[in-house]
Amino acid sequence: MTIEYENIAVKLGGKDILTGTTLRSHENQIVGIVGANGCGKSTLIKTTFGIVPYHNGSIRIDGRSIREYSPRDLASMIGYVGQDATCAFDFSVTDVVAMGLYARKEKNRQHKKEIVAAALRELGIERFADRSIQRLSGGERKMVFIARAVAQGADMFILDEPTNHLDISHQLFVMDYLKNSGKTTLMVIHDLRLATHYCDYLYVMADGVTYAEGPPLEVLSCDNVRHVFGVHGYAGRSTQGVLDFSLFECGELGCISDIIEEHQSHEDTRDLRR
Amino acid sequence: MKQKAWHTFLFIFLSVLLIFSVIYTVSIGATELTFGDAYSVILDKMFYGGARIEAGEFPKSMYKIVWQIRLPRTLFALCVGAGLAVCGAAMQSLVLNPIADPYVLGVSSGASAGAAIALLAPIAFLEGQRQTTAFAFIGALTAAFVVYFLAKRAGGGKLQPVTLLLAGTAVNAVMSAITSYLVFKARSPEGIAAVYNWQMGAISAAQWKTLAIPAGFVLAGAVVFSCMGSRFNMMMMGDEDAAAMGLRVRLFRSVMFIVVSVVVASLVSITGIIGFVGLVVPHVVRLFSRTSDNRIVMPMSALFGASYIMWADAYARSVHGAAELPLGIVTAFIGAPFFMFLMIKNGYGGSKKK
Repeated sequence: MTIEYENIAVKLGGKDILTGTTLRSHENQIVGIVGANGCGKSTLIKTTFGIVPYHNGSIRIDGRSIREYSPRDLASMIGYVGQDATCAFDFSVTDVVAMGLYARKEKNRQHKKEIVAAALRELGIERFADRSIQRLSGGERKMVFIARAVAQGADMFILDEPTNHLDISHQLFVMDYLKNSGKTTLMVIHDLRLATHYCDYLYVMADGVTYAEGPPLEVLSCDNVRHVFGVHGYAGRSTQGVLDFSLFECGELGCISDIIEEHQSHEDTRDLRR
Repeated sequence: MKQKAWHTFLFIFLSVLLIFSVIYTVSIGATELTFGDAYSVILDKMFYGGARIEAGEFPKSMYKIVWQIRLPRTLFALCVGAGLAVCGAAMQSLVLNPIADPYVLGVSSGASAGAAIALLAPIAFLEGQRQTTAFAFIGALTAAFVVYFLAKRAGGGKLQPVTLLLAGTAVNAVMSAITSYLVFKARSPEGIAAVYNWQMGAISAAQWKTLAIPAGFVLAGAVVFSCMGSRFNMMMMGDEDAAAMGLRVRLFRSVMFIVVSVVVASLVSITGIIGFVGLVVPHVVRLFSRTSDNRIVMPMSALFGASYIMWADAYARSVHGAAELPLGIVTAFIGAPFFMFLMIKNGYGGSKKK
């Protein structure tokens, strides 16, 4: 199952947030959306469930317009987890995960219980099952919300910064979980190291449009990173052959001189080279 | 599992409390009647068609007090308590704010303004009490609809928690101003006293014939809310999450808002303002049941709210002899300190906002 966003345009409060963004998920792969703060990444995925309305473009699932599905059917196909992991009311973790069952229209009580238990187990949070959601840390809550998306039984995940609030071991746990689940995943991700390592394909967004797309090694080039984030870094393979993203050093790709040129006069640069 | 057993126990306890409250509070009032007296009248009327009354076995006055005044009043108290409590629980979920109550949506101040017009303006459609009720009902619904459309307009076509609260505050202010203006302009001291009394809330107006409509609304509302418990739960997670779980958030909020408005309007138009019930009862229930799950909270709020108001009214009508204490004062005296306690205990406004 894949989801396609075509030419999505969004206006919020009279301001153009997205002006014709096109991107799509890849079957059984992790597709990441990266970009600077405020470039419209979250806005784009929020259009999926109508949380943010779009005034132009179309969203299709396997070629069929999203508007043909009821919200409930949509929820049974897509597990969405937003950025915000707070809750103003008191629910047990099991209750929260069980809310995901609404999408399934499952009637059998025993079966329902099993689905919830399985979701908790998959995310490794059985030990929180009876705890109050309000007594958990931000990261733990995030895991609960992902478990809820699992309980929805969807074949596809759309996640807004799933590793936000998580410590490093849980970040890796969640990313490994997604990778191993083999589900079609579309995620907004800020951590470029995780993006390089785990995503099969990346979209780089800037100013409300897709600026570049491709595998992380191609897309997170020095030039693109500098253009979009204004920092020096690139994705590459370490000496052990591990995909990684490094900051500050673009030397081996030969662009350090370009960067220096931008900030200094030609004479200075010549001095430096000597 | 332990949780489940505890909830079953609470349900049984609250049901027993409700039945006991209905039975017992009928015998409480300014006129001293024994429990036995009250029940001989009720049982006679219910099962023998009033044969013993006809035969003159009880004084006519006793019959009148028990059957025509206290019993409808007790049952009306039950409706008011149950209705305001479930509507409170519903509003708290709909506006995502644990300290909202049904009056947030402008219903009470609208009803006040309506009542003030009926009592003070020189118009006469209907007779006495009925005119007040009709105008209060119209006022309540008008205010609720203004709040609804104002919030929708301000929220860019969506009904959002924050705009709903703000619209409620704005409309409350306008409606209060209308009431105050009418009181200021009024010539008759009796009229002013009537408005004043009305604002303090009382359920003394209850009669058998005025009972049916609010009872129907409350029953319908309580059933709808209890059945929609899991959807209200999803609303409590915030709009984004609720939508992602497959709920039609805007439609649900709009429809439920209308249901709450109608139920509350049907009560407030008869009773006047009885504050803090919708706010406090769901909180007490959440505190004791240790969950916010609306499938539990809604029905328990109805049961507990009903008992609470029956006892509060029994107290109001008996404590000062013939001069009845307005019920709104009783609920405010109990509710407001409890609310303060909740604020401190839960630390609202700190970290848990969505």
